[in-house]
Amino acid sequence: MLTKLFYYPVIHENLGYILVGNLSQGEPGGLLLTVLLAVSSGLIAILLGFGLALIHWFAPRWLQRGLWLLSEVVRGIPLLLLIFWLYFLLPMWLGRSAPDAVSVVAALSLFNAVTVMISILAGLHALPAGQREAAQASGFSRWQTLRLVLLPQALSHMLPSFVNLFVALIKDTSLAFIVSVPELTMISSQVNNREQVYPLEIFLFAGFLYFVLCSVLSLGAAQLERQLRRNK
Amino acid sequence: MSLGGYHFDWSAVLSGQPLDWLLHGMGVTLELTLLAGVMATLLALVLLSLRLAGPRPLQWIGAGYITLFRNTPLAVQLLFWYFGGVVWLPESARNWLNAGHQLFGIGFPSTELLVGIWSMGLFTAAFLAEELRAGVRAVPQGQLEAARSQGFSQWQSLRLVILPQALAHAWQPLVGQYLNLLKNSPLAMSIAVTEIMYQTSQIESFNFHGIEAYAVASVIYLLLGVVLSAVLTSLNPSPAGLRSNRRAD
Repeated sequence: MLTKLFYYPVIHENLGYILVGNLSQGEPGGLLLTVLLAVSSGLIAILLGFGLALIHWFAPRWLQRGLWLLSEVVRGIPLLLLIFWLYFLLPMWLGRSAPDAVSVVAALSLFNAVTVMISILAGLHALPAGQREAAQASGFSRWQTLRLVLLPQALSHMLPSFVNLFVALIKDTSLAFIVSVPELTMISSQVNNREQVYPLEIFLFAGFLYFVLCSVLSLGAAQLERQLRRNK
Repeated sequence: MSLGGYHFDWSAVLSGQPLDWLLHGMGVTLELTLLAGVMATLLALVLLSLRLAGPRPLQWIGAGYITLFRNTPLAVQLLFWYFGGVVWLPESARNWLNAGHQLFGIGFPSTELLVGIWSMGLFTAAFLAEELRAGVRAVPQGQLEAARSQGFSQWQSLRLVILPQALAHAWQPLVGQYLNLLKNSPLAMSIAVTEIMYQTSQIESFNFHGIEAYAVASVIYLLLGVVLSAVLTSLNPSPAGLRSNRRAD
């Protein structure tokens, strides 16, 4: 019997809770919160990472070293530890308590912003030196060279890697469950504690939801990469 | 020392019971990382050979495994194996594991640690296999053709000609994946593996000196990362010429 292998009713009964949490009480959770966490951290990370890359590009040597050190530390410690750090530090900085989800978004944003900064800088440095020299010889200022010549070329190469970064970010939102933010993994674990006897069904279903989300985006990234290569 | 009204007390973390906890946690983190690393490496080599030299259905299984494990979060995989997978073991095996044993004079890993090693090994193998495959793809096709035309079998060409060059191409990304393994290991605290982060949370609830504990844990992870990266980079088996030409293509 198929229901012996996979007892679907346990998913069916909890489907609404798994997908949107307590949305009707104004507390989004489950898959919806996972997507909200990923999208908000992703947007902040892109903007912040872009800003950091620009600062790095024009900054004096000491500031560049500082940014490099920041990125080494942020990426050198486990992401979970970064979440714990912000969980403690944010309330100190803000002077009032912050919701747990905010510390998670702050940690994910910071981690990915630093990664975006590094990949933008790497993309800029990978361009042939002649591009910059030619632009400057034609009378472009440093800012114009970056904005009109270097960035457009570098960014189009980087688009697929940003999508892959976002896929990793979706998976990383699951860390939030360790600080009890009710996203998909936390909700699944809650349902598992309540039901007790269907762990396989519940975690397989959660895995399935993540899988669909991530593999669709990964395929899109691969497609994008092929297209960019063809247009070269 | 005081910052923003918070008074730091390092002795609350670096002496007595908390220090013992942290040292124990460091041992567990190392055990988890090393054993999962060995398991992941062996499995990744199996996956790579399946994908490169296996019959069609086995190639699909290899590709499917990699896609599946890379596109689901480690947290869910840990919970799946811990709450779900253990049920598949016969009851006698579960009882034996839960009873606790000695192995070579040290404690045999707990069920939690074993599940942690198992989950992280399976997860990391998918990433290692993908880096290896990218390394193989970076080897020019002519190398394989030349080896075959010299009378090497398909398997010999792979093992003696392609794989050494692929390893040289893939070495730095592979080191990165082993570092990721180390940095992913705190997730095992969710199934009560008593590694470093588990211990810092314990210190936090023991004497409320969480910040000092996180600072110490950060330093430990940074140091472990530097050491692991230096050791693995120095193990690079590739010929010096290949190493410096890595970026040429």
